[in-house]
Amino acid sequence: MVVLNFIINNILTQAAVVIGLIACLGLALQKKSAGTVASGTLKTMLGFLVLSAGSSVIQSSLTFFGTAFNAAFHMKEGAVVASIEAINGQAMSDLGLGGEIAITLAGIFVVNVILARVTKFKYIFLTGQALLWEATLCVVFAWFTGLRGPMLIIIGSIVGGIFATLMPALAQPIVRQITGTDDIALGHLCTVGYIVSALVAKVTGDKSKSAEDIQLPKSLEFLQDTYLSVMVVMIPFYLITAAFAGAEACAPFCGNTNHIVYAFLQALQFVTGLYVLMAGVRMLLAEIVPAFQGISMKLVPNSRPALDCPVLFPYAPNSVILGFVFTTIGSLIGMLISPMFGAFVIPGVMSNFFAGGTAGIFANQMGGRRGVVTGCIAHGIFIMILPAMLSPMLAQIGFVNVTCTDVDTIITGFFFMLIKSVVGLF
Amino acid sequence: MFFFGKKKAAADKGKEETAPKVDKEELLKKASELIQKLDTAQDKKEKTALLNEIGSCYFQAEEREQAIHYYEMSLEEDKQLGKAYTDLLKLYNQKRQEAAEAKDDEKMKEYMDKVQNLMQMSKDVLRGKI
Repeated sequence: MVVLNFIINNILTQAAVVIGLIACLGLALQKKSAGTVASGTLKTMLGFLVLSAGSSVIQSSLTFFGTAFNAAFHMKEGAVVASIEAINGQAMSDLGLGGEIAITLAGIFVVNVILARVTKFKYIFLTGQALLWEATLCVVFAWFTGLRGPMLIIIGSIVGGIFATLMPALAQPIVRQITGTDDIALGHLCTVGYIVSALVAKVTGDKSKSAEDIQLPKSLEFLQDTYLSVMVVMIPFYLITAAFAGAEACAPFCGNTNHIVYAFLQALQFVTGLYVLMAGVRMLLAEIVPAFQGISMKLVPNSRPALDCPVLFPYAPNSVILGFVFTTIGSLIGMLISPMFGAFVIPGVMSNFFAGGTAGIFANQMGGRRGVVTGCIAHGIFIMILPAMLSPMLAQIGFVNVTCTDVDTIITGFFFMLIKSVVGLF
Repeated sequence: MFFFGKKKAAADKGKEETAPKVDKEELLKKASELIQKLDTAQDKKEKTALLNEIGSCYFQAEEREQAIHYYEMSLEEDKQLGKAYTDLLKLYNQKRQEAAEAKDDEKMKEYMDKVQNLMQMSKDVLRGKI
């Protein structure tokens, strides 16, 4: 009894251990050798600890940024950086929900498989990172509604599994037109944004004039390095904010160091934290995701794999480039109006590339190149307003100066808030 | 009249059965001819175009292993986001599905990894890394 209590109170409460056990289970189910199970389990635990280290670096940088922003612009809504990675990091480490998120991730796979087997929606969601973000939002908002323990995990898994199955189904009518086949689906949790882009493009565009008929550069070389691209956005924001805030407001953080120099270094710290966090995420998912993907595909062999958004890029590469450009324009407009919706939101460059690029493909399919322009500007505004609306709730939960990017995960949050409101009526 | 109708239907069915076989033979013949031309290709562009055409012939003839082989050679030669990519995606998915039905874990992982590599390639091409 003493031993059992020790295990429950000292070992199973440790998120790193719970996450390691999930990986261990996945590897054992695949009948891997003892050595592979042991090394995979330890690497997954290491991944979680690396993720936590990255998260604390990001949080320290964002704390400085938030304080400087408030001093500089006196905006009661405050500023938030759109980064689903930072949301995941803070949720897993600072909010202590790492174990619940890992178990819910496995639970989402299970629910997805069940729904794919018993319903007509035969989609298996294969994008591991997207499911980790979804598991994070499900757990965070289930926790916010008051759920705890096994019930939190069960409800989080069911809601996450429903989104993982239905979002590819929502996109499929247009994906089918883009690819000319029904064999593959889209597994990227920004689907609602793509539908918005497609609808605006359909109404305002001209499908007969495709973006693929024009000559454009074949690539966006300035996006070669992810972290350089993030730096290009964060450094100006940090510097401008510090300049407006002044030395006195920044002094509690920078001491004798010049506040502009300190702000520059803090912008680099943000990127450093992101780099470390993402290394941790990749290590964490490297063992868990292939294990559950393999099991899922075997249990529903006639399913359609729902794959990450780059799977669509080759079908309309010009639309990807234009989609990024016009989503960025839209997101800058959205940034300026975002305080009216809850917070000043700083856009994420990589989100604009992947989500914006994919929105461009959807918009081109429905409304040609004119549709790409109008649909993606609307998409850019949409993907800034929704995070702004969620920000006050995220701040209430305990997140520091950060909001989500992927709009389907934001809608998951709204879904839980709706349920909480409805239950509250009784 | 009843019997005429049946004979006509049988004749039509016969025609339908022979038509695809002729097309497949033609496609395979064309693929063989194009393979002969590979050694005489002037440059990378011509070689890639030939490899894509050979892959396409085998793809339409439903010779999946050969189609995969030549399309993969095409992408080795020149990483482009074109028909080789989109047809390979379909082929890998079909092979993955077969492996899942046969409960062949190794083959399933092999083809899932190939799909992941294709997606990484599309990201790299659009970000100018290739």
